[in-house]
Amino acid sequence: MRRLLAFLSLVACATVAHAQHDMAGMTMGHGAPLGFDAAIDPAGHLWVVDTVGEHVRARRSDDMGRTFALSTIVNANGEPLYAEGENRPKIALGPKGELYVTWSQPRKLPWTGFVRFSRSLDGGAHFDPPKTVHTDRAEITHRFDSLAVDGKGDVLVAWIDKRDLEAANARKKPYAGAATYYSWSTDRGATFAPERKIADQSCECCRIALARAPDGHIDAFFRAIYDDNIRDHAFAALPTDGSAPKVERATFTQWHIEGCPHHGPSLAIDARGTRHAVWFSAADGKATVWYGQLAPGKEPARVLSLAGNGASHADLAVAGDHVWVAYHQMTAQGLDLVLRESNDGGAHFGEPRTLAHTDGPSGWPKLVLWDGRAFVAWNPGGTFRLVPTEALLSSGSQP
Amino acid sequence: MKPFMFLLAAAAFAMPAFATPPVALTAADVPALLAPPSKGVRVIALWALDCAYCEANLSALADFRAGHPDVDLVIVATDPVSQAATLDARLKAAKLDALPTRAYADATPDRLNFLIDPAWGGETPRTMIIRADGTRRAASGMLDSAHIATLVR
Repeated sequence: MRRLLAFLSLVACATVAHAQHDMAGMTMGHGAPLGFDAAIDPAGHLWVVDTVGEHVRARRSDDMGRTFALSTIVNANGEPLYAEGENRPKIALGPKGELYVTWSQPRKLPWTGFVRFSRSLDGGAHFDPPKTVHTDRAEITHRFDSLAVDGKGDVLVAWIDKRDLEAANARKKPYAGAATYYSWSTDRGATFAPERKIADQSCECCRIALARAPDGHIDAFFRAIYDDNIRDHAFAALPTDGSAPKVERATFTQWHIEGCPHHGPSLAIDARGTRHAVWFSAADGKATVWYGQLAPGKEPARVLSLAGNGASHADLAVAGDHVWVAYHQMTAQGLDLVLRESNDGGAHFGEPRTLAHTDGPSGWPKLVLWDGRAFVAWNPGGTFRLVPTEALLSSGSQP
Repeated sequence: MKPFMFLLAAAAFAMPAFATPPVALTAADVPALLAPPSKGVRVIALWALDCAYCEANLSALADFRAGHPDVDLVIVATDPVSQAATLDARLKAAKLDALPTRAYADATPDRLNFLIDPAWGGETPRTMIIRADGTRRAASGMLDSAHIATLVR
């Protein structure tokens, strides 16, 4: 009973805190927040981060997600968390077993946030107290964090930031959208370099895709604003030597929208340097998940419409000539987890294949690779699953 | 998991009562929302708390409606109806609370998006026009008065 009471008071506290921070639009609030991220370490341990109330939780599974052998609260002191959709906790693994975690913390006003970081250097037994990554502490948007580790083991964090918009507003100058910023750490997350801008006039609400290039550096791919609210995507290599990122337009769908798509792209780069990407566009009123091979400054190569109405939140992974794209396919009957697969480096894709189904909601799918195989991390109804991409959902055997 | 959900539900229930509007929109309510009006035009204005363009779009639609008595404007938040107090505060601040307002009441908001318009990717703001003859049109993004007039006519 005491445990129950303790739990109830915890829930009550979290609920009050939620109410206080509702103005921040902290979660979409349709039931428990479902945002999560997943990664597999070289030993085959699956790491999953998600949220429990005002806490980020990191868990390790030694049996590919069936059970969790370790569960550690990252932030001992609870704080408001963005925990859904494009705005969810992230995990990345360092070369020496480091665990790096980021999330966005809503502030009091709508759309505001701080990007938070914590690390574990003891295999997830403990996490350092979280810190704010950026030096700018204005009560404005710094959120939609993305996280990656480069080939040297340096940690990069990128996010959407409205300081330039605020400055323009103060001068009564027009400014479309937000900006993207990033910072990096060369000391395993002990300290971060002062942030620098990637690009002005990015979309305000779409995650930034980060991927490691064959030479080890990190590339970013994100929705940017061109001309009069054309929301296509930009590509930029992110240097960690203090030089300026080179930013080039990389998609040309010409989707015009003065609004919030909440559909970020995904990027994976193969050993030859081919930049495989997926992105969402609704140009001409046609909602489409596109695949293409980025050629920054020019139209992507091998552009292909992968999915249409009801498809969203595609993730992509590549190993050798094998390319996997997993996405959500909404139907009147519920939500399907669908895969499209290429065995020839993205030249051709097989037909869409439904891997799993849920009548309820799920966090966005995340592809993870292990031993040349791809799995989709998924959490329908808040129950984590690692779905093998070889799975085929037959009728009547819905999980 | 289930007892946990129950406890959460109990905790939510114990919270102070929310302001009355907006009214819950469930999957079962969608056909009535989309049914052609007996006369004139219904404009469904979809918005979200986490959308920096939405209140301006709602205001533009409300201004248009003020000059067009045959336009029935319904404001629908894709945020959950459990955030009614926050939604209402934002609508009041934008002087939009006198209009009929709804908010999503489904564990899977993407499903309601799909049922309302399968061609809609959930981007906001989204404006949907339903005419008495059953024809529909929709546009995403913030609309100006000229664009609204084109869409409605």
